[in-house]
Amino acid sequence: MAASENTTPRRHAIGEVLFRHETILLLVLIAEWFYFNSVGRRFGTLDNTFEIMRHSAEIGLLALVMTPIILTGGIDLSVGSLLGLCAILFGKLWRDAGMALPLAAGCTLLIGALAGGLNAVLIARLRLPALIVTLGTYSLFRGLAEAITRGVDTFTNFPDSFLALGQQHFAGLPTQVWFFLVVTVVIWLLVHRTTFGRSLRAIGFSPEGARYAGLPVERRIAQAYILAGVVSALAAIIYTARLGQAKADAGTGYELFAITAVVLGGTSIFGGVGTVHGTLFGVAAIAVLDNGLVHARQPREMAGMLTGVLLLAALGAGALPKLLAKLRGPRHSSAPPS
Amino acid sequence: MKRFLSLALCASLAILSACNKSPESSASNGSGGKKLTIALMPKSKGNAYFISCKAGADEAAKELNVDLLFDGPTDPDPAKQNEIIETWTTLGVDVIAAACENKEGISTALKKARSKGIKVVTYDSDANPDARDFFVNQATPEGIAETLMDEAARLTDSEGEFAIITASLTAANMNEWRKHIEARLAEKYPKMKLVDTKPCDDLKDKAQAEATNLMSAYPNLKLIMAICSPAVPGAAEAVKQAGKTGAVKVIGLGLPSENRKYVHEGVTQSVVLWKTKDLGYLTIHAAADLANGQLKPGAKEYNAGRLGNLKVEGDSIVLGKPFIFNKDNIDQFDF
Amino acid sequence: MLRRFSRTGFQGGRAPPHSKTQAPNLLLRDFDLMQKYSREISVAIVLALLLLVMAIAAPAFYEPQPLLSRLAREAPTLIVACGVALVMVAREIDISIGSIFALCGVCAGLLAGSGWPLIAVCGVVVLIGAVLGAMNGALVAGLRLPSIVVTLATMVILREGLRWKQQGAFINLPDAWQWFGLSQRGGQWTLIACALILLAVLAWVSRNLAAGRFLYAVGSNAEAARLAGLRPRWITLAVFVFMGALAGLAALLNVVQSPQVDPKSGTGLELKAIAAAVVGGVAVSGGRGNLWGVFVGVLLLACINPALTYLHVEAYWEKAIQGAIILLAVIFDGLRNRRSTN
Repeated sequence: MAASENTTPRRHAIGEVLFRHETILLLVLIAEWFYFNSVGRRFGTLDNTFEIMRHSAEIGLLALVMTPIILTGGIDLSVGSLLGLCAILFGKLWRDAGMALPLAAGCTLLIGALAGGLNAVLIARLRLPALIVTLGTYSLFRGLAEAITRGVDTFTNFPDSFLALGQQHFAGLPTQVWFFLVVTVVIWLLVHRTTFGRSLRAIGFSPEGARYAGLPVERRIAQAYILAGVVSALAAIIYTARLGQAKADAGTGYELFAITAVVLGGTSIFGGVGTVHGTLFGVAAIAVLDNGLVHARQPREMAGMLTGVLLLAALGAGALPKLLAKLRGPRHSSAPPS
Repeated sequence: MKRFLSLALCASLAILSACNKSPESSASNGSGGKKLTIALMPKSKGNAYFISCKAGADEAAKELNVDLLFDGPTDPDPAKQNEIIETWTTLGVDVIAAACENKEGISTALKKARSKGIKVVTYDSDANPDARDFFVNQATPEGIAETLMDEAARLTDSEGEFAIITASLTAANMNEWRKHIEARLAEKYPKMKLVDTKPCDDLKDKAQAEATNLMSAYPNLKLIMAICSPAVPGAAEAVKQAGKTGAVKVIGLGLPSENRKYVHEGVTQSVVLWKTKDLGYLTIHAAADLANGQLKPGAKEYNAGRLGNLKVEGDSIVLGKPFIFNKDNIDQFDF
Repeated sequence: MLRRFSRTGFQGGRAPPHSKTQAPNLLLRDFDLMQKYSREISVAIVLALLLLVMAIAAPAFYEPQPLLSRLAREAPTLIVACGVALVMVAREIDISIGSIFALCGVCAGLLAGSGWPLIAVCGVVVLIGAVLGAMNGALVAGLRLPSIVVTLATMVILREGLRWKQQGAFINLPDAWQWFGLSQRGGQWTLIACALILLAVLAWVSRNLAAGRFLYAVGSNAEAARLAGLRPRWITLAVFVFMGALAGLAALLNVVQSPQVDPKSGTGLELKAIAAAVVGGVAVSGGRGNLWGVFVGVLLLACINPALTYLHVEAYWEKAIQGAIILLAVIFDGLRNRRSTN
């Protein structure tokens, strides 16, 4: 699913569009905020802001870690299922294997890395299409979670010190938000300030070109998927702390939300173009929408529909400049032949 | 990039300044002529069973002149109920009435709501006892399971193979029922055997397919127990299409309206349920009375409007026993 | 668009063999054929093995009435899988088919309940599906938006909109509607025949008529197709419209199998269809795959759940096994490609 060949003039145009895209998203976010503030009495409070942050921490993590993957032109549909699998394995290690919670958490992160490694081997090594591999692991991970618990088993009664991770505050912010911020900063730096991130973008533009340029394409792609596995495991632990319960169907549907947030944030699904802060705004836009609609006393279905409409609008807005340029006259905007 | 960052900074400042820094206490009692706000949550939206509960709830809300909020998750993720409840907590509703999908998980959110002064009742499926003030109980999980198992035994002369079709293997309340069904089976009906349990993902068509396979894979199957409501007409249709009406009995938990035809044709023998409208009505009544102080912990009896006096067992308000709809009485009900 | 192409090379869209091997050596030619269809053949072998296992370990699997019911129940899936396979051949994807399917089913139920005649309802429902597909197609082909995101958005919008309207309530169909008014046996055979005939026609068209070839061309390399005189965007639009129409048709075939319409039907259909297409050899990157492979893929995936039941295996293994089969199919593909390119 890599983008077609590019030339430098196009890059400028993309820069303009992206910049505009993120600004528009920010404006949408602000507009949402002011609208819901006017409609919902308690919407604009600090308490509610913390609620929004707490509710979107896990899903935000998944969206953040999906960004590098989509930047390479890949996709990962298995993050939600991996969240569920890691959650029950975490519970199982703690309850049935008697591990201390920090040790169980560490093992869970390791399991997440291994699972991400499975995706990595199939996609990076064997060069299989990411969509289908992760479609397979989407079923496989969820299936393993159901098989291990027989669907029935859940893990609860975690000690309060652990539940504080998902339910209490720490130094002013909800605890999980600190984890979220740390991961955000790390991924932002990785993508925007290191050669790792630059190579991801290069791979997204053209895997072959990147390979000829000497980039370790397979290794980079593999690293992106393994990172996704680790962060999914982290999200699973936070989810369990927030809910106070680990179940096999945890995280159902999260991957679609993550992809929506990433695309909303301006990252091209074909790869090569995108930012982490865009994803952050995408997550925020959807989370605020979700929360605001409850304050506005609108039904849940509306949240889903509006998210879909928002996604289409964002995509359409991105495509509009190109369309207008085309309509204006093909002679004026033709790039030099490649 | 710089321009963008400064823009983002301005935006965040604007947002934060618009925040009210003092969140008032979210509890408000119904005094001073303000309308009570009761937030009613089903296990999931798009479920005809909860829609019929809502009909009764609407009736009570109109009668008592309270504001009724009805919302719930549309997808199966366990955290979704919590998120809506937490947002309601911030919103500052007066009472939350929730049907709990995940007992332990939802208790986290309900406890938080209670700590902010919001009253909490549960209905249809309970949370942890310390997470709510009262549980409006149409029938205990044990009662439901016993009714189903006893009915199954009655129809098969307490002997033979049967299978269960459930919604999904992770559905908490169905797993509770299954547990009690199996306990009842082991305790009272040693000559009966539960051969398989299949999920239908809450889809009627899948239930039909599963029932078809079950009848064929277990030739001695005598009864199919469909404990999720779309599965009852699904299983019935499968039995009908297999030509095994009467040979394989069908019972389950479902709505009379969806099963009327099959009950009359003799494909489905019994549909176990309760008067869902009454459940909704009772829930809103109890919620309102809890908020305005007329229903207090420790009460032994509760007067619930048109339902009259109902027993309160501990902190459970009991509607009654499960009701068995069959050929003789199913036409009297329109839900 | 309906011109016939001569049957040289390009079988199922794969690269033609080198002309030198077209010597009159029957053995070599057979071997070439086997290589070209090796994916479909290997999946067919797996299916055959599974069927053999069932014949030995659980012969009740072949009991006629349940088997017929199962096949009839898979007919809509087959139709939808064919449609999504064609979309994938054109290098796009459509994950909104489940929602279109559900919406069309509900429309069929509502129209039937209002007393519309059978033929009219069928026509309107297929038309509704086509219109919804056209919406997808317009956004993908017209605005050049990525199909996965567009169909993700339309899937969510349609699904939530339908849920909002229906709130899970079943719709009762008039009695005359079940099995199109035929007997149960007759109806089931009709449905199966419908699906198979459609499959055969589409398989033939996709290989022999220009319309089908254009899909493979656009999917292999849209730019080259454009330079060759095709119009990729119209072709893309057409394939989405066709997909929508097929989803509508499949919904009809599903609706007549029971007297009530469940608005939630079609949940997970896109996963089933895409998985079946992929297992059957259709490549997500476009330009490759044929519908007979999809047929085998549908059958294979449809057998998993009944096989578990008949073999008395616990139900909670279903998803894991399904995922494993998808992965194995795709790994096998990848290994074969590596071997051939090395």
